[in-house]
Amino acid sequence: MGIETTKTNACLLEYRLTMGMTVMEGQGFYYPVDTTIAADGRMYVISRSRDEVARGVRVTMCNVDGEYFGNFGGFGEEDGQFVWPCCSAIDSLGRFYVTDEKLHRISVFDRSGKFLDRWGEHGSANGELDTPSGIAFDSHDNLYVADTYNNRIQKFTNNGRFLMTFSGHGEEIMSLPWGLATDRHDNLYVADWGNDCIRKFSSDGIELAHFGTSGKNDGEFCRPSSVSVDRDGDIYVADWGNERVQILNSAGEFVEKLRGQATISSWAQNFLNINVEEASARDKADLNLQIEYVDDTPHEESSHIEKYFWSPTSVTLDKNGLLYVTEANRHRIQVYARRDR
Amino acid sequence: MDNDIGLIAHLMRRAGFGANREQIGMHANAGYQNTVEALLNPGEEDRMDDHLIRRFHPELSGMMGPNAPGQNWLYRMATTSAPLREKMALFWHGIFATGYAKVIHGKALSDQTRMFRTFGMGSFKDLLIQLSKDPAMIIWLDNQDNHNGAINENFGRELLELFTMGVGNYTERDIKECARAFTGWTIANREYMELRSQRDSDWPYGRIAWHFKYHPEDHDDGEKEFLGQRGRFNGEDIIHIICQQEATARFISRHLYSFFVSDEPPIPEWRYTPPTNPEAIDELTRVYFDSSYDISAMLRALFNSSYFQSQDSWYSKVKSPVELVAGVLRLTGEFNRPRREIIDRYFQASYMGQFLNNPPSVEGWHQGTDWLDTGTLVERVNFASQQIGDSTKPGIQAMIERIASTPNNVASPENLISVCLEEMGVISVEEDTMRVLIDFASQGHDQPINASNDGSQKISAALQMVASTKEFQRS
Repeated sequence: MGIETTKTNACLLEYRLTMGMTVMEGQGFYYPVDTTIAADGRMYVISRSRDEVARGVRVTMCNVDGEYFGNFGGFGEEDGQFVWPCCSAIDSLGRFYVTDEKLHRISVFDRSGKFLDRWGEHGSANGELDTPSGIAFDSHDNLYVADTYNNRIQKFTNNGRFLMTFSGHGEEIMSLPWGLATDRHDNLYVADWGNDCIRKFSSDGIELAHFGTSGKNDGEFCRPSSVSVDRDGDIYVADWGNERVQILNSAGEFVEKLRGQATISSWAQNFLNINVEEASARDKADLNLQIEYVDDTPHEESSHIEKYFWSPTSVTLDKNGLLYVTEANRHRIQVYARRDR
Repeated sequence: MDNDIGLIAHLMRRAGFGANREQIGMHANAGYQNTVEALLNPGEEDRMDDHLIRRFHPELSGMMGPNAPGQNWLYRMATTSAPLREKMALFWHGIFATGYAKVIHGKALSDQTRMFRTFGMGSFKDLLIQLSKDPAMIIWLDNQDNHNGAINENFGRELLELFTMGVGNYTERDIKECARAFTGWTIANREYMELRSQRDSDWPYGRIAWHFKYHPEDHDDGEKEFLGQRGRFNGEDIIHIICQQEATARFISRHLYSFFVSDEPPIPEWRYTPPTNPEAIDELTRVYFDSSYDISAMLRALFNSSYFQSQDSWYSKVKSPVELVAGVLRLTGEFNRPRREIIDRYFQASYMGQFLNNPPSVEGWHQGTDWLDTGTLVERVNFASQQIGDSTKPGIQAMIERIASTPNNVASPENLISVCLEEMGVISVEEDTMRVLIDFASQGHDQPINASNDGSQKISAALQMVASTKEFQRS
């Protein structure tokens, strides 16, 4: 069987609510892959869409109360457009940055989604990118980019001037890194996706620590996609291949895991209020059926049990410490809060 | 004979999706029979990792729409070290043809293909039991509407007519009794899942995977008479009886012969037209019973037979669009990492007439020369020559480098064509094809060829010409 659901009533994190729903265009998400939250609480949610559905590609602006402020971006190769948008970050001036894994570039927008700039060239030389994914700023507005297929991290100024590159040292070469985060000391955390671990670097690229190994037990990872660090140094990891979120303390020790407990979001409730026949059939269905799976993996289990995380690609904290888990395959965000804060 | 690279190349075209010279050489070193065994028992599979595919293509993970299962499958066909498993999945997809148009659930279709992979080379009885419990098949043939006291015959009818025995080997009463035995075989949360499927609803949170559910209270447990046997049969009993029938053995044997050896007429004609090679069907039928319905045993007998190995059989079949596309992708090596272009390749197969997971009817696709018409032939030739002519692709680069470093490759246009035919899969061509290729290669054949000058363009152009030949379009 898959991985047990954590009983959150005895744990550190408490489920709060679910946001969003599947919508190809307009108010909703379509394979959302990352969420970034501005200081004023405005959320930017990147929808990757399906490869054949151009209109699904966009950035949605909303807030945790379910207010919807519109979309920007769209599919294409022109300024302000995306093909494979992946991750996002906001600098100290409130400018919003998005990586594009297909176009090998970074696009910059203002708070309202107006296009400002783009940069990035495909290649493997210093400053060039091959499939950029994760992105994070430090407190000095230095920008780190996970240069995925070059298996390295690159550091730039916030206008794209190359500063340095690093990939760690020791036995394992970084493998297809994905999500990035910085802590309040400007250390960088890397979801080293191909190596099933989280790596911690100083701001000058020195590797400081290495957390986790391959597996599905506590403190082990399967293809981690995203990492976030709170003000106390606790580390939140989207353990993507295990379809769960794990929390580690600042020393990298396992604290807690979440399997997901989504409920109906306000946007989803509007849909069900209008589509009463579907709502009625849903009420009669048992969506928590425990069965024997043909393919006994967390991915398979999550495809059957709707409340569980399914493809949790991103973990993000807001300034109040709320944790937002963006699930690509369920087109929603689950929000959790610390009980101890 | 056992190390004959031409014969190995024939085997790899039919039991797989073709191979380049280097791969064929490795199989030839192992020998023909060992290669057959390796195809039948591939062990741990090397292929594009599922996590990698899901990371870059979320829809190939969530599978809401009609195209994800086919793209996922194409990745597999293009990169697997176990090509016969995929070929057999394709074989069963053609017989147990299930389509998105009615199922409206990408993952359910992908799960069916996974079931074909798992059971498609084992006991035919086990495969039929899994097929009868397969959620996509249940919805496709309305078995969720097959109730105790109010039967729906669709699944029962097709099980006998299209999946196992063929028309003329059972009665209308057998169909009804068969349907009774499968009452209560449905999917979990039928009402909600069926409604979402009918509305193409992926709201609020994407698709929810389906699974089989047996409702004993909805099952007709009464006595039935089926194919001359009486009892309180359930679905598994029915399948047991079906598998005992000589008609079933001959039906599956003929399908295997048609798919792997030589095209038989469309199924509706089987009742009136005897097999082109009755001795082969007799032999496969015998193996079916001797092995307790084991598909691998039948495949082993087929691949080791003289009728399969005969040169009369080589290039006698037209590659299906998916076989052609997968074979080209294996040569080009384009998908050495996930790429957005997988969707283009997948659609290109559909433009040639084979839309994976979307067959034209419950009868699947008509094979053979039915794949070819003016439009699809142009699509096929353009696709193959464009892909093979793209020297930025890693597989093509490697071929060009190997050809450029082949001693005497420039001694004559004949030599150039000969090494290109070898490199692209030890292809043998008819005289008129060879003449055209050599004429082409003779144009401007006045300077040495190596990979570093425009000789590589000449090699690339020659490879492209080979990809345009009728022999490349056939297997």
